[in-house]
Amino acid sequence: MMDWPTAEKTGAAASAPTIVHANLEGERDTSSAIPVPMKVAIVGAGRGGTALLEVLHQIRTIDIVGITDKDRSAPGLHRAHELNVPVYGRTDDLLHDQPLTLVMDVTGDPAMESALRQQKPTGADVISGQASRLFWLLVQHESTLQTELLQAEKMAGFGSFAAGIAHDMNNPLQLILGMAENLAEETDLEAVHAQALDIIDAVKRTTAICRDLTSYSRRTSVRQDGLIQVNSKLDEALKIARYAVALQDIEIRKHYHPDVVVKGNPDKLLHVFVNLITNAVQGMEHHGILTLESTATAGGTQVRVSDTGCGIAPELLTRIFEPFYTTKPPGKGTGLGLYNIKNVIQHMHGTIEVESHVGQGSTFTLTFPGDPSLAEENGQS
Amino acid sequence: MGEFKSGFFVGGESCNGRVLIVDDEPDIRKVVRMTLQKAGYDVLEAENGEKAIEVINSGENRLLLDVMICDIRMPKVNGIEAIAYFRENYPRVPLIVLTGFPDTDMATSLLRQGVVDYLVKPVEGEILKAAVGRAMERRELAPL
Repeated sequence: MMDWPTAEKTGAAASAPTIVHANLEGERDTSSAIPVPMKVAIVGAGRGGTALLEVLHQIRTIDIVGITDKDRSAPGLHRAHELNVPVYGRTDDLLHDQPLTLVMDVTGDPAMESALRQQKPTGADVISGQASRLFWLLVQHESTLQTELLQAEKMAGFGSFAAGIAHDMNNPLQLILGMAENLAEETDLEAVHAQALDIIDAVKRTTAICRDLTSYSRRTSVRQDGLIQVNSKLDEALKIARYAVALQDIEIRKHYHPDVVVKGNPDKLLHVFVNLITNAVQGMEHHGILTLESTATAGGTQVRVSDTGCGIAPELLTRIFEPFYTTKPPGKGTGLGLYNIKNVIQHMHGTIEVESHVGQGSTFTLTFPGDPSLAEENGQS
Repeated sequence: MGEFKSGFFVGGESCNGRVLIVDDEPDIRKVVRMTLQKAGYDVLEAENGEKAIEVINSGENRLLLDVMICDIRMPKVNGIEAIAYFRENYPRVPLIVLTGFPDTDMATSLLRQGVVDYLVKPVEGEILKAAVGRAMERRELAPL
């Protein structure tokens, strides 16, 4: 059983080796300035309540103390269970169980709004009606923006695939052309048959390129969210990464725990893996060891991508998850890679941390929280 | 490396010259071999730059290799490194680059280093043969 450092809500642990947790607001971690979390109660667990829950849950300076809805089958209540957010049967209990900073009413019901204003604990604010709706619209806008940024970065990265795609397309094409030229003059029937089979093989190889890249390039949709087989997703990412970076001289080590499963969007997780692998290989300048590791315990699931490359200087380590931060020359990197990765992982309620030794390499560790419903799939009883 | 015919006349059979194809893809080596053998060349193969260096340093190849055709993106010693090695150690052997990825900057730099031709896959047999023919004219005899 492995014992790994937990990404605490309080910030980064700074010791040698340098380890940095991606924090939730994209600010730099400073242990001296930990804001007191806002304690927020959500009333209403329909579409609006669920969307709020999803976003507020990602912000570490917000503590969702609970959620309630008259309808026991409201989708937000189910989601709250998954996120370990307390679900209350009665609004009154939610309001008075513990101190509150803010009550967010997303029921759209004027009667509920006036009841909340009367019953709210001293010192707590209530947001309801159009103000709540505005929050919901902002939340939806933020979610759309994150998806757009991910897509933009993916498309920007396609330029680096050109060399790999050209290599994989033009080699089979060379065989096809050469064989066809030869067939035009070939009189030996046996040779004709053998060369025709070679051509068929070559055509199949070119179609594999399109297959690999189509799933990678498509726009992600939340409708695809579900259980993801981590190991096969890592393998798929390796196949795609080799278009962007030369893997021929990289030793690849895989330490997979069998049948590791996480919940989330498969295309987004694929993007995360491709990005981490590409970064790792670029850091090694084409020679070194790339290690892919998956582990699953009752406490959670972890995925590690390690390289034996140049490493990241401690002063840069705190900045790599910031948007538009890049150490690559202009035109070579968008600076959105790790920022997007952080967003995807947080959306999956996971954490990402990096450990790096300059001159020795880096390890990115993704940790996904333990989920009792996944324990069986992850081979635990 | 496997057997090869030595010299320009073996058993009365004429040989237009000896060509080394360096490419990590067996398919490419196969098709280049097929095309050039039909045109009367003796063809040697290497799967990367490291192997190519071994081949050229083995036996009489040091003296009798006429032309080298080299890919760029290969494992171990890649094309760029191999070309630098060959230009320095075997400047008499003309080099043709045969690459899957056209890159103008790289082509310019390689032609400056003395590469005689820069071909982009897929290349037609006639064009390949013409390039090898031109390269043969540029080769210099090895000092004995």
